Amino acid sequence: MVRAYAQEHTYKHPWERVTSASWRKFADPENKRALSHILEVDTLNRKLDPEAGKLYTTRAVTIHTPGPWFIRKIVGQEICHCVESTVVDAKSRSMQLATRNISLQKFIEVEEKIRYDPHPDNPNEWTVCKQETSIRIKPLSVLASMAEKIEQKCVEKFQQNSAKGREVMERMCKYLEAESKGISL
Amino acid sequence: MGITKREKRSPPSTSPCADLKAAYHNCFNRWYSEKFVKGHWDKLECVSEWQKYRDCLAQHLDDKHLSRFLETEGVADLIDQADSKNPSGAFK
Repeated sequence: MVRAYAQEHTYKHPWERVTSASWRKFADPENKRALSHILEVDTLNRKLDPEAGKLYTTRAVTIHTPGPWFIRKIVGQEICHCVESTVVDAKSRSMQLATRNISLQKFIEVEEKIRYDPHPDNPNEWTVCKQETSIRIKPLSVLASMAEKIEQKCVEKFQQNSAKGREVMERMCKYLEAESKGISL
Repeated sequence: MGITKREKRSPPSTSPCADLKAAYHNCFNRWYSEKFVKGHWDKLECVSEWQKYRDCLAQHLDDKHLSRFLETEGVADLIDQADSKNPSGAFK
């Protein structure tokens, strides 16, 4: 069984600022406290296609193992490694991120896709963020008998975390806005 | 809940590279905001910062799952897959 959900959020900031904030989201110490489930983010690979104006990035994201506490007991691991691939198309002004877990795959598969595009109603000032998440407990794993419950718990946890992520993004955008106007906060 | 949550977390394996990472990210973030999104995408900057950070990662990234991504050319695999399933590039 797969549990999937989608979310949408409008940032009242231009696309350039929102995507800049997205890159900075995990680095700021204040954000690190808010996003305490993110333990480490490393850039593994980065390539620029200068003809197309596209920037490709692969990052490793180490997170505190999601879901309720007993999951960590069962899988015996406190941390989970994920890989995030990002393509930024500067010409068409789009940013797409896809994140997937690469450890604990015996038990669970989580995939998250995020897109940042200029908002159709106000493309120069606003940005729309669309997010899709799917969570699947592997049918033959030790977690299978309680898969539905665990998936639900994971969804709740992920939604709490993405709400925190949005707050961090909003704060980062305000900071960048002030910076661009030469005001220090 | 009656049972104490274990808060023990493994120390991040790449922390020896923290300073080099910060130096690279600062440089990249500046390039991204001030050049890339403003149409100056002819070349990737911060090359020397990137080299130092990557060399450090290559030494300290003990997780095999992750280190293979340091070598891979197919950087945008996940996105490409998503695009081929969904050619308009839009979500369902």
